[in-house]
Amino acid sequence: MIAQGDNGFFRERTDTCVTDNGLCPGWVVDHLDRYTTPLLQHVFLTVTSVAAGFLIAGSLAILAHRRRWLVGPITNVTGILYTLPSVAVFFLLLPITGRGNLTAIIALTAYTLLILFRNILAGLDAVPADARDAGRGMGLTDRQLLWRVELPLALPAIMAGLRIATTTTVGLAALAFFAGAGGLGEPLEAQKAFKTNVVFAGGLCVALAIVLDAMILLVQRSITPWTRAA
Amino acid sequence: MTAAHVPPSSAEPLEFRGATKRYPGAAEPAVDALTLEVPAGEICVLVGPSGCGKTTAMRMVNRMIDMTDGDILLGGRSVREREPSALRREIGYVIQQVGLFPHRTIAQNIGTVPELLGWDRRRRDERVAELLALTGLDEDLASRYPAQLSGGQRQRVGVARALATDPPVMLMDEPFGAIDPINRERLQNEFLRLQERLRRTIVFVTHDIDEAIKMGDRIAVLQRGGRLQQYATPAELLMQPANDFVRDFVGADRALKRLALLRVRDVDLWTEADIDFRLEVDGDGRPVAWIWPDGRRSTSVTVVERDDVLRDALSDLLQSQTQYGAVVDPRGRLQGILSVELIHDFLVPEAAAASGDA
Repeated sequence: MIAQGDNGFFRERTDTCVTDNGLCPGWVVDHLDRYTTPLLQHVFLTVTSVAAGFLIAGSLAILAHRRRWLVGPITNVTGILYTLPSVAVFFLLLPITGRGNLTAIIALTAYTLLILFRNILAGLDAVPADARDAGRGMGLTDRQLLWRVELPLALPAIMAGLRIATTTTVGLAALAFFAGAGGLGEPLEAQKAFKTNVVFAGGLCVALAIVLDAMILLVQRSITPWTRAA
Repeated sequence: MTAAHVPPSSAEPLEFRGATKRYPGAAEPAVDALTLEVPAGEICVLVGPSGCGKTTAMRMVNRMIDMTDGDILLGGRSVREREPSALRREIGYVIQQVGLFPHRTIAQNIGTVPELLGWDRRRRDERVAELLALTGLDEDLASRYPAQLSGGQRQRVGVARALATDPPVMLMDEPFGAIDPINRERLQNEFLRLQERLRRTIVFVTHDIDEAIKMGDRIAVLQRGGRLQQYATPAELLMQPANDFVRDFVGADRALKRLALLRVRDVDLWTEADIDFRLEVDGDGRPVAWIWPDGRRSTSVTVVERDDVLRDALSDLLQSQTQYGAVVDPRGRLQGILSVELIHDFLVPEAAAASGDA
């Protein structure tokens, strides 16, 4: 490319920066587009996996809340899933689900289950016994008690679980490229010797985790007004 | 009246018929063949030491606990035939810890059962406003959360919530147990005034015999194992305890407790003819001084009112020089004379008869 005017001067300096393997903001500005798709993939993987994990763990927690004997087995199974190395899970799944989003999402979802299950169950268990007793005594059915009293009161713990699960998943999704699902790990891996690239791709991961966390926190504040009323 | 006004349902009688609760593996039943009737509009207090089954007995009424044997009839109808959640919506329920929903505003808490019954928003709001006024709560509290209220206010909200659909029967489990003594007394008095207007049939559980005597139209004393020892009015219970257990439970000071239930006007007062000295009164009939047989005049006259509680009157008499008191009406005019001896004879009629024979 031929340098022109002011830009040319800038670009020349950038190029020196790149050859020196320094931290080059100019290079980033010029190559932003190569991060757009991986970032969107990363968001998609995170949101989909946490949402799927939330539905599964939520159902399991509600089930175990009423049938206490299920708590042990569910904790054990989700605990094992949580301890498996994620890259190993990607490779284990490859022969079954092939390369792509499905494999990545299954693995990432499996990681959220233990965190979400434990938090939702802890939230349900922390509902004051007197509120539950008064609710039943006033004629709420089990289902009404769950949706009108227990789940709303469990929201602070549930949202705390969602925050941990989301930030964890943002980190793990950086490995999703092993499963062929893209994500910010891909550009990071592609030029892992180039400092600017590594720092920027990594920084995007961190920023994404912070932004998603802040969004969940905002939602939590707006749906639990009573927690700030004391 | 507003559209929200709930036409007062008539209170219904409640009858325990051999109601029994036996837990598997337990040596003795928690409630043993409890049989008693609560007339419509009366407060029945279940009282006894912890583990006597009083709360279990109460919770069998709205099927929070299911009986293993016997029956409970509400308005003549067995609670066993009723679907539990439908039954519970017709029975007010107040517990010691109140159990307000922390995530719902005071208005939403009070409107819980109306909401379950499908009342529209306007009708609920109007009923909430009525109940706040009825229970002495400021209407500004409607939009607050329970955590923003004091213990006493929360307990009032608990009562308001239980009254929301004006249920014919209310169950109250140590409703004032967690309140400090001064506020407890106030809440008890307020509740009794409320009950005078509402006339609900109430089952009231407490471990405190003084509270039982104060609140109850009838008191059921239960012993460990859920065995009914005596079912009587407070006065009967204090005068004629059925057995040693009841005598011990009501306490050695049961005579004093009875005095707290009685008023000066309940006693057949003496007139001047009954005593050997005179009481001087002024032109308006107000007592002024005692005139002793030897002509001595004493202006320290202990005065009690007809409506005074007998226990307070006795306390005044014991502190006076003479142990005699002048009883006056609210305008201060002499009605008769009360003495320590007279109170004693009133409390122990047999003793009075015996001394009369002698």
